[in-house]
Amino acid sequence: MNRVSRFVVRRLMHGVVLLLALSFLSFALAQWAPGDFYSNLRADPQVSAATVSGLRAQSGLTRPLPVRYIIWLTGLLHGDFGYSLAYHGPVAALLPERIASTLLLTATAVLLAWGLALPLGIWSAAGRRGWLDSLSTAGASLLLAIPELVLAIALLSLAVETGWLPGGGKVSRAHDAMGALARFGDVAWHMVIPVTVLVAGLAPVLMRHVRAALLETMAAPFALSTRAHGIPRRRILFRHLLPAALNPIVSLFGVSLGTLLSASLLVEVITGWPGLGPLFVEAIMARDFALVLSVVMLSAAFLLLGNLAADLLLCRIDPRIRRAEA
Amino acid sequence: MSPNLGRTFTRVLSPSRRVAGCVLLLASASAAESKDVLVVPGITGTPGGTLVYAQRSEAKTLNPLVASDSASREVIQRIQADLIHINRATGETEPALAKSWTVSTDGLHYTLQLREGLRFSDGQPFDADDVLFSFQAYLDEKVHSPQRDLLVIGGKPIAARKLGPYQVAFDLPGPYAAAERLFDGFAILPRHILEKPYRDGKLAEAWSLATPPAQVAGLGPFCFKRYVPGQELVFERNPNYWKSDAAGTPLPYLAELKFVLAGGEDMQVARFEAGESDLISRVGPRNFEALEKRRERRGYRLADAGPGLEYSFLFFNLNDLAASTSADLTARQAFFRREAFRRAVSLAIDRDALVRLVYLGRAAALTSPVPRGDRLWLDSSLPSLVRSVPQARELLAADKFHWAPDGSLLDPSGRKVEFSIVTSSGNPERVQMATLIQDDLKQLGMTVHVAPLEFRSLLARVFDTHDYEACVLSLAETDFDPNPGTSVWLSDAPNHFWHPEEKVPATPWEGEIDTLMRRQMTTLRFEERKRLVDRVQEIAMEHLPLIPLLTPDVLVAANGDLLNFHPALMEHNVLWNVEELSWKSPAR
Amino acid sequence: MTRRRRIAIALALLAVVHVAALLAGFLAPYPYAEQHRDRPYAPPGNGFLLGTDAYGRDVLSRVLYGARISLFAGLAATLVSLVLGLAAGIAAGYFGGWCDRLLMRGGELMMALPWLYLLLAVRALLPLDISPGAAFLLLAGIIGAAGWVRPARLVRGVVLSARERAFVQAARGFGAGHGYLIRRHLLPLTTSVVVTQATVLAPQYILAEVALSFLGLGVAEPVPSWGNMLAELRHFGALTSHAWMLAPALVLVPVLLMYLVISDTLLDTLNLRQGRGA
Repeated sequence: MNRVSRFVVRRLMHGVVLLLALSFLSFALAQWAPGDFYSNLRADPQVSAATVSGLRAQSGLTRPLPVRYIIWLTGLLHGDFGYSLAYHGPVAALLPERIASTLLLTATAVLLAWGLALPLGIWSAAGRRGWLDSLSTAGASLLLAIPELVLAIALLSLAVETGWLPGGGKVSRAHDAMGALARFGDVAWHMVIPVTVLVAGLAPVLMRHVRAALLETMAAPFALSTRAHGIPRRRILFRHLLPAALNPIVSLFGVSLGTLLSASLLVEVITGWPGLGPLFVEAIMARDFALVLSVVMLSAAFLLLGNLAADLLLCRIDPRIRRAEA
Repeated sequence: MSPNLGRTFTRVLSPSRRVAGCVLLLASASAAESKDVLVVPGITGTPGGTLVYAQRSEAKTLNPLVASDSASREVIQRIQADLIHINRATGETEPALAKSWTVSTDGLHYTLQLREGLRFSDGQPFDADDVLFSFQAYLDEKVHSPQRDLLVIGGKPIAARKLGPYQVAFDLPGPYAAAERLFDGFAILPRHILEKPYRDGKLAEAWSLATPPAQVAGLGPFCFKRYVPGQELVFERNPNYWKSDAAGTPLPYLAELKFVLAGGEDMQVARFEAGESDLISRVGPRNFEALEKRRERRGYRLADAGPGLEYSFLFFNLNDLAASTSADLTARQAFFRREAFRRAVSLAIDRDALVRLVYLGRAAALTSPVPRGDRLWLDSSLPSLVRSVPQARELLAADKFHWAPDGSLLDPSGRKVEFSIVTSSGNPERVQMATLIQDDLKQLGMTVHVAPLEFRSLLARVFDTHDYEACVLSLAETDFDPNPGTSVWLSDAPNHFWHPEEKVPATPWEGEIDTLMRRQMTTLRFEERKRLVDRVQEIAMEHLPLIPLLTPDVLVAANGDLLNFHPALMEHNVLWNVEELSWKSPAR
Repeated sequence: MTRRRRIAIALALLAVVHVAALLAGFLAPYPYAEQHRDRPYAPPGNGFLLGTDAYGRDVLSRVLYGARISLFAGLAATLVSLVLGLAAGIAAGYFGGWCDRLLMRGGELMMALPWLYLLLAVRALLPLDISPGAAFLLLAGIIGAAGWVRPARLVRGVVLSARERAFVQAARGFGAGHGYLIRRHLLPLTTSVVVTQATVLAPQYILAEVALSFLGLGVAEPVPSWGNMLAELRHFGALTSHAWMLAPALVLVPVLLMYLVISDTLLDTLNLRQGRGA
């Protein structure tokens, strides 16, 4: 087993331990918040307390915490994500479409954000003091300062007032009657506001980090020496500086990958996009344990895999790391 | 007649028997065509078209036995039908799946005659066995249906008996007022689909949204067609529905009913304005005003149906708490229990400001803890509550409260009158009401904190741990009749908010209310019941266990091209007559 | 504009806002809870410079008082993050070994936790009559405690590289104890990282307060905060009918911008200094 696979295995084992600890902490936290799924029924004058306690007992909510944790954990190890109290069915059935919707949103936003941030960040660091550079830096700062949620609400208000953009959701009323191409366009049109909000929150941060990473390498002695050698600026930038600055950039990309499931939570809730976000928030408010924990575990797994992917990529491209892991 | 059947007949039977057999088959075939149809007079419409309704949260299941959230009930009641239905417009019962019924003189036995020749949406015939199976499932303690307790009277369940293929008898364990209203909302389930899961003990998992549509059947106007998670739930016309209009056109008019997920009230309004949905129910007053401003531009209809069946109230923690609970709370209960205190609080609350500022005028201040929309049962002789801070101060002074030099109120034992009001943080109107009340009570010298809590934490505090001081909550009655809500008034009941599950009535007036409510539950004559319920309201307003605040109006909106749109005060405010709704020109 | 001048101007503007918040009692024309029930949603003018809200409370006064919660809770959370991060980073970087691994793994764990649940639970378990300010400070403390990981990582990086420097080795050779080494030599090296992180974290926590208010977990009525004032805009119609309710955002955005300018300039300075010193 070569070095890289050993590295991967070690990281995966760390990941499993982390996920276990996370699962236990989340389970305990879930218990802390008072009230449970059936508290709503308890407040309904038409339902007797006996029915509510019967339901609680049937769902196993009265069993002690460690017992419930073990039961849930063994289920999870067999691939059973648990039973949703709200939907009266297995959690696993609820997730695929929602995950797909969320990934559609975040993947698009991540691609767009990187597509904007990388070139703009490089350009800005390269020192071209043009009007475009000032504009983009100023714009990035402004976007960073505007709270994401306020931006979302402003855009939605505009959409509702003018009707240029849909006021939420993923598909229009006439979606089923549309042809394949029209359907694609319909979903894309609905994605405009949430993706804009996500990119507005993501791109400025990325751009600044890319710029900072490049500036840092520019200050390094080897960069000065390349200038002294008379190598043309563009070649210095792309051949010498960018590869050296890749370390933090690739880590950042790993974080982008890792937060694919969780980054859009609030935006989805505000714009009514049918992804994991609204499902998760509603499940928390309803104390639908199995659903909440499954989403938490999935998001955490994504985080770990994203970081792992970034580290593997770094191993590939940065010889310093390859040597360090030896 | 299938060719195989024909061949069997010609082989097995003699010619005369053959002819008789054919005649019998033809007769039964035409008998199956003739069903007991309910003709709905006074409506016309054009068949066809789709109606889109945006929901605040997603429906979670199609199983009537386990559905506990309003979004699921909203959709289930459009594909199911009950035996006796309460007409939401008149508030009276009318025949549904039971075309007629008789009551024994003692009021304990109901004999229902079912409609004949009806079929479920999947084509299977409907008969008394389905009714018996349904009620068996509802009453089964192992199923834990939230609806079960409505069928339990005085601790004993009602019993269903089959008298014939289309005749069922229901035996009540004791006299029960307005017993026929019990049947509303109990969907009659298809035995041929659900009996097997019931025997296997898996009834609660049946009919989740992932179920293939062919396996879900009902007697309602629509049937399940398609579900896309997080997006839409599509129903289509039930071809076997048992209602038609006076011209003989079978109902429903609409070809398709679509429920889409909007995710919140503001989202619902946005969709409606964009034309993405056609109906909205229970809009908030601010959104209603916003819609009102844009009405001419978009051409939809808005309606304020007047005060509904929901009512908000303030109550104090009057529980007998264990010695281990907070000393502050127990000490504060000393003045919570003083009636002069509660009356002063009620006098100081500016209900007009609540109506005006929180509901923009679209609400009605309450005079008793009965929703204003329940005109039949509201005690109209009770005087309206006029705000009077000086009178409140007099009341307090007479009960030996006094004021410190800085203006803060002190109770007879010298303790500062300070307490917190919990309310649900997810309901902005209630938080606003609590804030206004906080300011009102400041004029009496009381220091009030508003503590918005997440809803389930709130419920746990109020019902389980009793760890709260005051609370603003609201209840939505599901029927005009007071019977379903008696659990609030009976002192040993779990929903006796301020002091649930008392072993003996804590105060003489609570005992009196117990007696009165129990009597009205078993009194069959309306006039006598009304007298009893009026007396309960008088007692409630004298002793104020719940300080009533207001009833919001029912605010709805509909697409301008929709025919037969009649908002109702009972749920479902806009979809209750979905089978009668029609488009002016169903190009949609 | 030189770096120093840029920082000076930004700091000056921030100082003005913070001082105004502290002096809200003097500057605000009305008490923040005073309701004028006859003038709900009054547009600016007529004695209300920025109009009134749903209960007729003066928006300008509420923005001034609200600055206290938003700005200072943000600073409090930042302080908590930095103190915890500094301690964890130094411990991890200096002692290394299992201490390092434990802290870094623990950090990953913290970043993956569902904070919504934790905040819900804590809010629900708090005693009901603690003052809204205290409740919110507690929540701010928890958010701050959740954010120690980033500063800890950065401090750890600094300590790791400094540990092997000649002067540190020399001091150890002279018999200096851990405490002395950390206090005299390592701590000063972390100042630049800590200060920069402060200017990065503070705006994030101010924004977190806004997000929490949208979810109903912010400060309770009647205490104003920029977050719970902005949360009233959730109704789409609100922006078009009462645009003056956006006032908190008009102050919030410049404040965040100033923090950004400062942190940017500091980062640039750090980079250059590192470059020169290397």
